[in-house]
Parts: sequence; structure tokens; C-alpha cells
Amino acid sequence: MNKLVSLQKAIELIKDNDLVALGGNVLHRAPMAACREMARQQKKGLRLIKTAGAMDVDILCLAGCAASVDAGFISYESEFGLAANYRKAVQEGRVAGNEHACYTVISALRAGSAGIPFMPVRGLQISDLIEVNDYFTKIQDPFSGEMVTVVRALAPDVAVIHVHEADVNGNAIIHGPKFEDVLMTRAAKKVIVTAETIVPDNRFAFAKEKADVPHFLVNAVVHVPKGAFPCDCPEKYGINREAIKAFKAIKTQEELSSYLERNEATDYQGRGGGVRAW
Amino acid sequence: MVSGFRTCDIMVCAMARLIKDGNTVFHGVSSHMPMIATMLARATHAPNAVHLNIPGGVDPKVRKLMKETSAGFELFDNAVSIFPLQEVFDLSMRGRLDVAFLSGIQFDVNGNVNASVIGDYHKPKVRMPGGAGSAVLIPTARRAIIWRTKHDKRTFVEKVDFVTTRGNIDRIVTPLCIFKYEGGRLVLDTVHPGVSPQEVVENTGFPVDISRVRYTDAPSKQELEMLKRIDPTDLRNIEFK
Repeated sequence: MNKLVSLQKAIELIKDNDLVALGGNVLHRAPMAACREMARQQKKGLRLIKTAGAMDVDILCLAGCAASVDAGFISYESEFGLAANYRKAVQEGRVAGNEHACYTVISALRAGSAGIPFMPVRGLQISDLIEVNDYFTKIQDPFSGEMVTVVRALAPDVAVIHVHEADVNGNAIIHGPKFEDVLMTRAAKKVIVTAETIVPDNRFAFAKEKADVPHFLVNAVVHVPKGAFPCDCPEKYGINREAIKAFKAIKTQEELSSYLERNEATDYQGRGGGVRAW
Repeated sequence: MVSGFRTCDIMVCAMARLIKDGNTVFHGVSSHMPMIATMLARATHAPNAVHLNIPGGVDPKVRKLMKETSAGFELFDNAVSIFPLQEVFDLSMRGRLDVAFLSGIQFDVNGNVNASVIGDYHKPKVRMPGGAGSAVLIPTARRAIIWRTKHDKRTFVEKVDFVTTRGNIDRIVTPLCIFKYEGGRLVLDTVHPGVSPQEVVENTGFPVDISRVRYTDAPSKQELEMLKRIDPTDLRNIEFK
């Protein structure tokens, strides 16, 4: 089934207040074009999930799209420093910073993908995080009688990932580090794939290396060359320092709007464009 | 300052020496110093140490280290296998990760680590990036080695504002000294060359016993040469710039 649509159509699948998992890791292969489109469509109340996030979470906090962020770490790493918009939004009480260990996000997604309500997590033993967050608690192991910390399942309404290649049916492959993307597609109810390249239908059938994500899990495919820009996409392009700095300098909603507008041409350049639905 | 090497060199060499040959070793994001320390250990005294990281390249031989990250695609360069983050965590949970390099913002005398917030968790005065893997790795890795490039009374405190985690802290490497965790308390292990014990006392928010002081070994000529080869663009100094 042909699921190739415009970026706008694809992002319309995300509803206000949805639980949205974002692929990639810090500045690597983050679905940035998709995040910019969420900002353009002025989504509200999104509950974001990510193990270690950076610019993706930061822009959605700046745009007022996010209500909460479940993550282990939000920062741009050493070179570009803190995620100022995320930080400010949490400190001002506009966004709930639901801190996890990166592993408890993984455990919660594993529970989501297995259709079970929670997952025991070894390691999270002594931590104030258990008391202050309602998604952690301790229960008795019915077999040994010992206490064990559990994390509530995360089954995202939508997972959004950026990949190297996809066919129009939704079969998708990631080159290089896959991070938690594949797990997210298993845990989510809907999957949006943005792809650097749209490959022919028979590409995966004849290839030795099969798709990481099978078509039946995917709801929308969008052709977005440079879809991770200004983050990197291994083997394709590195980070764009100037563009990251330019974004980090944005202070007002007007500046953000013009930033989003400036990026429309690149975000909508793929087959299907930004206006017409395929 | 002793000539020929800098604080970052002392810290990276000290971290490298804490890695034993054959250890499984993990570092995460924002971790240039431990990443370079792991590479240094493998190039010197610990050739069989296993380098694990977030993208998952096992024992990479990186062509070019990247300034913006310690979790990028370059960690796939010449890697022998793929063992990504999820599996590194699982490895630690079942007791088989020897060394995890982690950091934090505040540390107290009882070995509590805060990487989360200052003030109320739900409406924090300061929201920090978060502990990443700390909350599950510090308790489960056989040895958690902490590095922190700030050493002052706001960083090393009597009691942390928030306990992100507590566990198997082996050493804390700072610009002034190395602390070790002994008998349920952080105590002085060694003071770095060029630093006076009094400086450590003055910059630490809990009492430090300096009645018998040992010093951190200075980086050797061989280590410094190897560091230049591994890290020609001086990313080991990134946190001091």
C-alpha cells in the first residue's frame, strides 16, 4: 500500500496531547524536519519520549508544543551546551520534566512493545526519582519476595523516526547506529517515517540487508532529504554548526516563526512536497 | 602548574589508569574525557579492555574524534561488533559491566549523586540535563568512575539537593584530586601534582582529612605522546574551554 504523503499530511496524524516518541539520539539522526512541522502546525500538549534528546525536544518546548518530556538526558552535549528552552519551560512549570534513567525509557518501551503494563528495572534502587515520579514504584517480586522497582509501560501514540531509505509501503532501513528507533516502532500505535531516499518497491526483497521496520507497522512515509538537519545523518551529512547556533540564538516567537518559514523550502523539497498530498 | 601537561591531561591519564586490562568499559554522551581515557588505556596498559558506547561500536578505532559528540557514528569506525546502548544497560544489570564513566552536578560526603534538579523536583530552580544512565549504572556497574571538571563547595557538598542515585562509586576524579569511596564516605585518595592539599580542603564542602597525603602520578611521557596521537585536536580539554 502506498503510504507516501507530504510532511504536512504525515504530521496531521499526530493529535494534540499525544504521546510521541522521537527517534535518534542527541544531535544524531533526530527527526528535525518532522519536529519543525509539529511546531508549524502548533501542536499542543505533546508528551514527548526520548532516551537522550537535544534540539528536537528543545524546539518543541520553545514552540509550546510539549506538555511533558520523559527522558534520561536533555542537552546538546559539550560543544553547544544546555537545552535552554527545555530548561526554561520546566523551570517555569510549563513542561513537566519527567526524568528517567535512559534505561527506564527503554524498559518502559519494551513493556509497551510487549503489551504488558510495567517492567521491573534492576539498578534503580536508591533514588529520589522513585518517590517523586508516579511512573516508578516498588513492588514485591512474587517469586523471591524481594522488593523490585518497576516502571510503567510507555506505548507511544506515534513514533517519529528519520531513516536513510524507505519504500512507499513503509519498509525502512537505518544505516549506522539505530539507537532506540526500532524499539519505538514496535511500541507505538502509529509510526511516521521520514526518509532521505525513497527506494523502489523491490529494493528490500532483493537485498541481503532487510528493512529494520516492516511496512505493516508504518502509517506514513515522507520523502525528506536532509530531514535530520541541522543534526547529523550518518554517511549522509554531519551536523551544521552555524544552523545549530542560529537556532540557539532564537529568543522570541516571532524569530521562531521566521526560522520555521525559512526552513520550509528544505523541509518540503521531497517527492510529494509540502502542499500536495500523494 | 607543573610544566608539560595540563589538568585535563592529569585527569584523563588518571581515568585511563583506573581501567584494568580486560575490563568492559562504558561511557555515554558529553563524555569526551572518559572516551579518550578509554582509548588511552587500550593503547597502553589495557589492550584487552572492551570499549562500549551509545551507538554500539565495540572497540572502535576512530579515524577522527568529533568535537560535538561522544556518541556519534565515528564510534562505528573499525568496530568489531555492534552492541548498542540497550544491551550495554542489560549487561550492567546482570553484573557484567566492569567500569561505567558517569558524571553529575553535586556530590555529597555519603556518595549521593545529583544530576537532576536544584530546588523542588516538580518546579525546579534549576533543571539540569538529567542523570542519563547514572541512576541504573552507578548501582550496578562493578565500578562507577565519576569525573567532574568543577571542584568547588557547590559541587562537593555535605548533602545533595536531590538523590539521583547512590551506589558503587569507586573514584571521583576532579581538577584538584581524586576521591575514593571508603567506609560509606568520600575520602581523599590522591592530590594532583601542582595542587596543595589545602586547596582541596578550601574547595570542598565537607571535611577532608589531609593528615596523610598521597599524590596522583603525573602523566608519563609515553601517555602524553599517545594522547596527542589519539586526540590531535585536543578535545580532552573541551570542558575547560
